Amino acid sequence: MDPILKLNAISRHYKVGAEEIQALKSVSIEINKNEYVALMGPSGSGKSTLMNIIGCLDTPTSGEYFLNGKDVSKMEDDDLAEIRNKEIGFVFQTFNLLPRLSALDNVALPLIYAGFNKQTRIDRASEVLAQVSLSDRVHHKPNELSGGQRQRVAIARALVNNPSIILADEPTGNLDSKTSHEIMALFEEIYKKGNTIILVTHEEDIAQHAHRIVRLKDGLVESDTLNGQRIKKESIV
Amino acid sequence: MSLYLKLFFESIVFAFSALIANKLRTILSLLGITIGIFSIISVFTMVDSLERKVRSSVSTLGSNVVFIQKWPWEFGGDYPWWKYWQRPLPSLDEMHEIEKRSEMASSVSFMASTKKVISSGSIVLENVSVLAVSNNYDKVKKIEISKGRYFTELELKAGKNIVLIGSAVEENLFLNANSLGLDIKVFGRKYKVVGVLKREGQSMLGESMDDQIIVPVNNAINFIDLKSENTNPTVMIEAKATIPNQQLKDELTGLMRSMRKLKPATEDNFSLNETSLLLNGFDKLFGVINLSGAFIGFFSILVGGFGIANIMFVSVKERTNIIGIQKSLGAKNSFILFQFLSEAVFLCLLGGFIGLVLVYFTSLLLSEILDFEIILAFKNIITGLFISLVIGLVSGIIPAYFASRLNPVDAIRSN
Repeated sequence: MDPILKLNAISRHYKVGAEEIQALKSVSIEINKNEYVALMGPSGSGKSTLMNIIGCLDTPTSGEYFLNGKDVSKMEDDDLAEIRNKEIGFVFQTFNLLPRLSALDNVALPLIYAGFNKQTRIDRASEVLAQVSLSDRVHHKPNELSGGQRQRVAIARALVNNPSIILADEPTGNLDSKTSHEIMALFEEIYKKGNTIILVTHEEDIAQHAHRIVRLKDGLVESDTLNGQRIKKESIV
Repeated sequence: MSLYLKLFFESIVFAFSALIANKLRTILSLLGITIGIFSIISVFTMVDSLERKVRSSVSTLGSNVVFIQKWPWEFGGDYPWWKYWQRPLPSLDEMHEIEKRSEMASSVSFMASTKKVISSGSIVLENVSVLAVSNNYDKVKKIEISKGRYFTELELKAGKNIVLIGSAVEENLFLNANSLGLDIKVFGRKYKVVGVLKREGQSMLGESMDDQIIVPVNNAINFIDLKSENTNPTVMIEAKATIPNQQLKDELTGLMRSMRKLKPATEDNFSLNETSLLLNGFDKLFGVINLSGAFIGFFSILVGGFGIANIMFVSVKERTNIIGIQKSLGAKNSFILFQFLSEAVFLCLLGGFIGLVLVYFTSLLLSEILDFEIILAFKNIITGLFISLVIGLVSGIIPAYFASRLNPVDAIRSN
């Protein structure tokens, strides 16, 4: 089976003034369908840059990136927008919901860009909101929801267009430990339904939820290991 | 394509909700457009209303009538009066001659005028226009009579002491009592009122028919000097229905030249005037007023446009984070572009619309005060909205382009 995501010698250089910064030097990773991967590393390791490239928000300076068989590393703005819309579901640390829209409208937003009609949008958005147990909060605005509920709305929004990968950037960074636990349980559930999850975090205990941990350092992959602890736990069950 | 339309529509909905959220700012920023549209469209509306009034006044003169006069109806700075002032005046005899010889004229009439004192009993009116007319004046001028009748041919020929009076003259002399068959004093003699003219209202060409009286020229010839410049003697010729004015003018030129025995090389010593000449002159005048109105309005609109562009830049800056989120969820550049562009256009249209509403109410108010109908024409409403639309596009395009080209990574991080 072909990997759903394949990075081949990806590098990303920035120019700051006259100085060139090599945020990513050469990164090669393959991720298969229905994998649960944690991307770890200290700040300055190139973790965020890699996430932006995987999320098609940014393009690499060199190297190849295949997502679902398509070479996205050299795409133009509008093609990348379409890839983001169809293939990637983002979950952010700061939730990034649109403040003036209701939970339902926030979730339906990607469907607007995909060009679905209104009824389909409402149906589909209600459906995923039910999946994250927010059926009773459909018409609430983000400021009327708790942090955990906001993150659930964001997760529902990530799921709404059936993306190839869910890309979660420090999804529990702004939440207390109890709520964090609930959110991680939700990711677990989503994973079990067959989704591919990439979790970007610097917290060790959050990363332990994943099956595979990729550690970055100074723009290179430091280690790429299966999460023995987790796999052992599962085999006991 | 339908997807594109759908996205376009969605981006308008987005823009609209953003405007609702910032009501005060929205109102302040569209004030510039409102004032601009108000100034442009109010000038256009004034000019249009004046023009309509002038045209209706001119049309009472008849568009297929040629006026033989000493002076041409011309406008402009370089009027060569020295070429005209020694010309002879058209005379009654010439009128009779034309009536006899013209084949293209359907009716021919003569008219001269003067200002006189008239009275009835103890009521005296000064400075009333007295028109001395010949046969067929009613046909050429299409005058309408509300009470009584026009002069008969015999009365005109005999030059009887009879008179037609304007409606305002009747009101003033007889205080609304019936005047038919009563006498008024003109030239110090008694004239019997045989008819009253239909009310015409304010005229844009000097005096209204309402303030005039009409007497037979064969009578007035004893009291008015038809050889005097002051009476402005005029021969009026109406063309037959199928004859174009130019053809009639050619014939009249030939007739007049032969009557006046002009040698082939000499210039005409008479003028053939038409209402189209008058209209041309007015067109020029109104064109200048319109242009200056548009010029002044253009600058106020420009200021308004800068205001909109400014507020759009603020709006883009403020929503950079949201633009980033939208892009991360798959909004294409064109969606963001349309969203901000339609917001600017909507702002301008709203401002323009308010300006038009102001013009409308001002026109109602002025119509009341001035006793002169000012109408905000449909054409000007469209013009106003179209200008608003263009200003919206022009002032919105740069901020919208700027927003659409934002890098999603940077945009999403900004706050």
